[in-house]
Amino acid sequence: MKKNKVLAALLVAVMTASVLSGCGSKEDDKTFTVGFDAEYPPYGYMDDNGDYTGFDLELAEKVCEMEGWTLEKKPIDWNSKDMELDSGAIDCIWNGFTVDGREDDYTWSQPYVDNSQVIVVAEDSGISTLADLAGKTVGVQAASAALTLLQEDQAELAATFGGLQEFADYNSAFVELQAGSVDAVAMDVGVANYQIKTRGEGYTILSEVLNSEKYAVGFKKGNTELCDIVDADLTKLAEDGTIEKLAEKYDIADLICIGK
Amino acid sequence: MSTAMIFQQLAGGMLKSISIFCWTLLFSLPLGLLIAFGRMSRVKIFGRFRIVRGITKLYIDIMRGTPLMLQLMVVFYGPFYLWGADIGGFRYPAIIIAFSINYAAYFAEIYRSGIESMPKGQYEAAEVLGYTKAQTFVFIILPQVIKRILPAVTNEMVTLVKDTSLAFSLAYMEMFTIAKQIAAKETTFVPFAVAAIFYFVFNWIVSAGMTKVEEKLNYYR
Repeated sequence: MKKNKVLAALLVAVMTASVLSGCGSKEDDKTFTVGFDAEYPPYGYMDDNGDYTGFDLELAEKVCEMEGWTLEKKPIDWNSKDMELDSGAIDCIWNGFTVDGREDDYTWSQPYVDNSQVIVVAEDSGISTLADLAGKTVGVQAASAALTLLQEDQAELAATFGGLQEFADYNSAFVELQAGSVDAVAMDVGVANYQIKTRGEGYTILSEVLNSEKYAVGFKKGNTELCDIVDADLTKLAEDGTIEKLAEKYDIADLICIGK
Repeated sequence: MSTAMIFQQLAGGMLKSISIFCWTLLFSLPLGLLIAFGRMSRVKIFGRFRIVRGITKLYIDIMRGTPLMLQLMVVFYGPFYLWGADIGGFRYPAIIIAFSINYAAYFAEIYRSGIESMPKGQYEAAEVLGYTKAQTFVFIILPQVIKRILPAVTNEMVTLVKDTSLAFSLAYMEMFTIAKQIAAKETTFVPFAVAAIFYFVFNWIVSAGMTKVEEKLNYYR
């Protein structure tokens, strides 16, 4: 019986703790809630200590320092990003968020990263140009900018593929690439660099890119007030070199387009 | 990140998964009994339609007939899209509500199977002995029902432990969401293997506990 009591006390403790952590106090006027995909290094991810970090999140931190806001980093499910933003659960999407193709769907800050969509293949695959992809199976992340691109502007190229395979995350994509069940994977160049750097040899990025596009911070359509504040801060952070320093830290210095 | 670190990170997420599990059981077990009563109700309107039975049956059909992941999204985002409500701090309550109303539907059917399996003769005997309907249910029927439905309830509990991972669709930081994030950052599948161990061990504890309860209640054999 005593054991049962201890167990019951433990369960109650867990439940209480979860309630307390679940309903953290909310200060409406000073909290800046950034929504991001925590599976998107180097822009937003979980570090060794379990804290969220990345180029975009550190940049958001700098903006909050300037404005005296408290930054709340809110990891979201990428497929639900519009619901999170519309409902006000987050203030903006700041996470390697591609403007191109979504120009009219959000209120955008100025672009800060020059991104391109690239194709990653295994080094020994014999694929070296986009034309070589004819008849091959190409992987792409669901709900990603690369997928939209292959369905719209590059639909002609996609039509030559043997098949387009959607996957949920880059781990699965790279394992499939390694196993040969897909021949190539389309993704953002910053992500591609991170993946290849962490995984080591064996992969290469085709020098022909699918397109070039911009990253910016996306606010709910019509929220120009908040957007203007962040936008002005970004300009200042570009001028004093903060952005460049951050970009070097995350190995994306050559992609930065703000202030140039 | 070392494997030990992954264990440590996931342990924190496991506490959140367990809290979903506990709260869901706390609410859905009683709610399920209530729904089971409704499902067996003989109340009629216009002398013809069994209104309570019809409503609870529809409820059970909807809860069982649509994916839990979809229900989670409806409960969390629904208040905003329907009434423009501020859902800022509502994420965790939404998860508990969605899990509870979903599992209550399954538990209701389990209760019903138990209650309807009791022989009619017991009710008649109780009536002869002067028991009221409520007394008959609480002192005679329910104790036997609980014994009969325990294996089915254990089934649902074990499923619930694994279903907590569906909270990822609302980006709640339970264990599986964290495992996915670590996997993305480390570009390995190791966190998923660790997650599997956590689920297995916790389910092993749950089923061992339920087996103990079954043995305790087995006092007539």
